[in-house]
Amino acid sequence: MIKTFYENMKNFLEDQYQKKPRASDRVRMQVADTVLEAFKPDSRVVWVSWLNFPMELLSAFDVASFDPELGPGLVCTLETDRSMEVMSEAEQAGFSIDLCSAHRLALGCQLRGYMPKADLLIGHSYFCDGSARVNGLLAQYHGKEAVTLDMPFGMDKKAVAYVAGQLQYVARKIEEATGARLDMDKLRESIRASNRARRALNELAELQKTSPVSWNGTSTVAMSLFQHIKAGKPVQEQIYRELIDECRNNLESGALQPENYRVLWLAWYPAQPFVTYEVFKKNGVKIVMGEQTRAFWDEIDENNPWESLAMRDFNSPYIGPIEQRLDGIMKTIDEYHIDGVVHFSHDACRHTCAAHRMIGDAVQKRGVPFLTLEGDISDKRKYSEDRTRLLLESFIDVMAGRK
Amino acid sequence: MGAKTKRIGYFCPLVPEEIIMAAGLQPVRMAGEAESTSAADGHLYHNLCPYIKNVMSTGLDRGAKHLDGVVFARSCDGMRRMFDAWRTYIDTRFIYMLEVPKNTDEPALKYYASQLKDFASAIGQAFDVTIDDAALRAAIKQAGKFRQAAQDIFALQRSKPLPVKGSDLFAVSARASTQDKDAALKEIKKLSSAAGKAKPEKAGSRRPRILISGNMMDRPDLFELLEAAGADVPVADLCTDLRYFSRQADGTAGDPYLALARAYLGEPHCSRTASPIERTVEIQKLIRDYSIDGVLLTSLKFCDLHLYDAPYITETLKNAGIPVLFLENDYTFTNKGQLKVRIEAFIEVLNEKRD
Repeated sequence: MIKTFYENMKNFLEDQYQKKPRASDRVRMQVADTVLEAFKPDSRVVWVSWLNFPMELLSAFDVASFDPELGPGLVCTLETDRSMEVMSEAEQAGFSIDLCSAHRLALGCQLRGYMPKADLLIGHSYFCDGSARVNGLLAQYHGKEAVTLDMPFGMDKKAVAYVAGQLQYVARKIEEATGARLDMDKLRESIRASNRARRALNELAELQKTSPVSWNGTSTVAMSLFQHIKAGKPVQEQIYRELIDECRNNLESGALQPENYRVLWLAWYPAQPFVTYEVFKKNGVKIVMGEQTRAFWDEIDENNPWESLAMRDFNSPYIGPIEQRLDGIMKTIDEYHIDGVVHFSHDACRHTCAAHRMIGDAVQKRGVPFLTLEGDISDKRKYSEDRTRLLLESFIDVMAGRK
Repeated sequence: MGAKTKRIGYFCPLVPEEIIMAAGLQPVRMAGEAESTSAADGHLYHNLCPYIKNVMSTGLDRGAKHLDGVVFARSCDGMRRMFDAWRTYIDTRFIYMLEVPKNTDEPALKYYASQLKDFASAIGQAFDVTIDDAALRAAIKQAGKFRQAAQDIFALQRSKPLPVKGSDLFAVSARASTQDKDAALKEIKKLSSAAGKAKPEKAGSRRPRILISGNMMDRPDLFELLEAAGADVPVADLCTDLRYFSRQADGTAGDPYLALARAYLGEPHCSRTASPIERTVEIQKLIRDYSIDGVLLTSLKFCDLHLYDAPYITETLKNAGIPVLFLENDYTFTNKGQLKVRIEAFIEVLNEKRD
C-alpha cells in the first residue's frame, strides 16, 4: 500500500510538474523519493522520526531513511478508508483505539507487511511516549535493534552533553547496522547545507509577513515536514529558493486572492480530508504560519557538530516547558499580524492537547481569538465534518467581531 | 519525624524519597482524592490518564497550602504537561521538575545521578539546609530499613499458603509512600508479625494465585474483587507496590547519588524505563518466583506507556501458557460492576483449567 501510494504520487506530481513547474510539487516529490528510496532492495534503511531527529546526521551517511509514523500517515490523505482498514488490523491485535491513530496505522502496516525493511530503528523520547514504545515494538517485528534518543526536559550544559553523547552513540549504531561509515567532512558539509537552507527558509518565512500572504495553507504545512526530511541535502536550499521566487512572483503579479483573516495553525495538521480548507477559502481565511514551519533552531556549528546538533533538537517547540511553545507562538502572532490561532488537538496526542488551555489563556490575554479544534490526524471515526464546520464558522465570526 | 515536619509532595515513584528525607522533609506521594476530574479536564485535556487528572483536580480544588513543595518527574507526556499547568494555576511554594532518563545505560545512569545532585542542591537551597553525603547516606539507610522489611514480606509471599492477604499488603504498600517512614515501618512490621499464621490449605482447595501488573494504583478494588472471586494475590507489580519497595540503594560506599540512580532505574522496571520485551521477561520471572497461575494486566486509561505494551505482553504470556486478563481502569474504579463480571469469569476459567 505505502510503496504503491508514493509511486502513484510521484508519477502524478512529475506529470503536473511537466505541465506547470511548481516548487511546492517538488517538495512533495522529495517526500515521495525519500520513501521510495527505502523500498529499493539494495538500500540500507534507518527508521527514524523525520520531525525530531537531527537529519543532518543521517544525510552525512549513504543510507535511506523511513519514518514509520509519517510514511504510512501521509497515505491517509488520499486513501482514508484503506488506512482505516489497516488501522483496525492493529486494533484487532490489541492496540487500543485510545492510542494515536498514526501509531495504529504504523502497526497495522507492519502487521500487513506494507513497510520497507529496517536495518536500524531509532526512536525518540519526544514528541511523545508512544513514539519510542512503537519503535521498540516495530524493531521486534524486524528482529533489529531499537535505540532511543533520550531528550531531557530542559536544555542546559549537562543536558546538551548527554544528548551529544547519545548522537555519537547513534552514529556508531548506524555504522554497525548498515556498514556505512561516518565521514566527519561529510557531516560538516551536511551542516553547511542545512545552515544555507535555514537562511533560505527564513527569507521565505519573511515573505509571508506580507498581506495577502503569498503561499497557501497546504504549503505551510508541507514546509514543516520538508525542513526536516531533507535537512543536510543541497536540494533543500534549491527548493526553498524556487519557493521564494514563486512567492515573489505571486506577490508581484497582484493576482493573489484577498485575505480577510490571518491564522496561525498550532500542533498537527490532519492527513485525512478535512473541511478546513473549504471553510477557510470561502471566508478568505489564510493559514499564514504553522507552529513548526518557522526555523526554530539556531545555525548549527560545524566545528562543534554533536552539541550543536543536540541543540537543534532542544529548540523544538514540543521539547521542554510550555514557555518554549508560548514564546514561539507569541512571537509569530506579533510578527505575522495574526488574527486568530487554531490549535488542532489530535485526539491521542497527550502533550499537545494538554497544553491547549495554557496556550488559549495566553493567546486570549493578548486579545487574539483562539480555537481548540478537536479531531484526529487520520482516524475518521474521531472526526465530524458538521461539528468542525460549525466550530470553524463560529471562530470566523469571533475574528470578525474583533476586527 | 515530628508533626511539624515540612511535607513535599511528589507524583512519580521515580523521585527518590531519600533526597527529600535527607533535607529533613517528609516525602508524600500524591494520591488523587477528587471524586470528579472535571476541573482537570478543563485545565489539561480529557484524554489524559485519570491519575493525573485526579491529582490535578485535587490540587485545583484544595490548593497546595498543605504542602511545602511539589516535585514532578519527567516520567510521561501527561506529567510534563501537568508540571506546566500546576505552576500556571496552583500557587505552590516550591516546584521542581526532576529529569528522569528514558534509557538505563551507563551514560543515562550518570546523567540521572547528576540530576539527583542538582535536585538535592535545589531543595537544600529552598529550605535552607545542606544535604551532604552523610545526610544522604543516613536517609538511604532509613529508607532501606522499611524497604527491606517489605521485601521480607514479599519473600514470604512466595510460599503456600499465602502468608499475607494481597489486599492487606497492598493497603500497607500504598500508604507507605504517603506517610512518614517510621510509621510505615511499624505498619510493615505489624503485617510481618501476622504472616506465617496462615492455616495450611486443605487438599484440593488451593486458590489460584494471580499477579497484578500495571501502573499507579491507590485503591484496593482489584485486589478485593480477585479475593472475593476466590483468588489470592501474592504480589503486585505496581508503582505503588513491589516496584516502590524495590528501590533499595547501597549507600554505604561510593557516590550515593549514583547508588540511588542505579536503584531507581534498575529492576524491576516500569514501562517508562524498559521496553515491552524487557518488561515481559521481568513479569515471567515474577510468575516463576511466586508460582503464579494467571496475570491480571491492568493500565490506567490513556496511559500510552502501558497501553502500547499490553498486546505484546498478553500475547507472549498466553503463548507461554499463562492466562492473562487485561483490564483498563479509571483509577477510581467507577466501573466496578463490569470489572467484577470480567474477573469472576477469568477466575472461573482458571479454576476449570486447573481441574
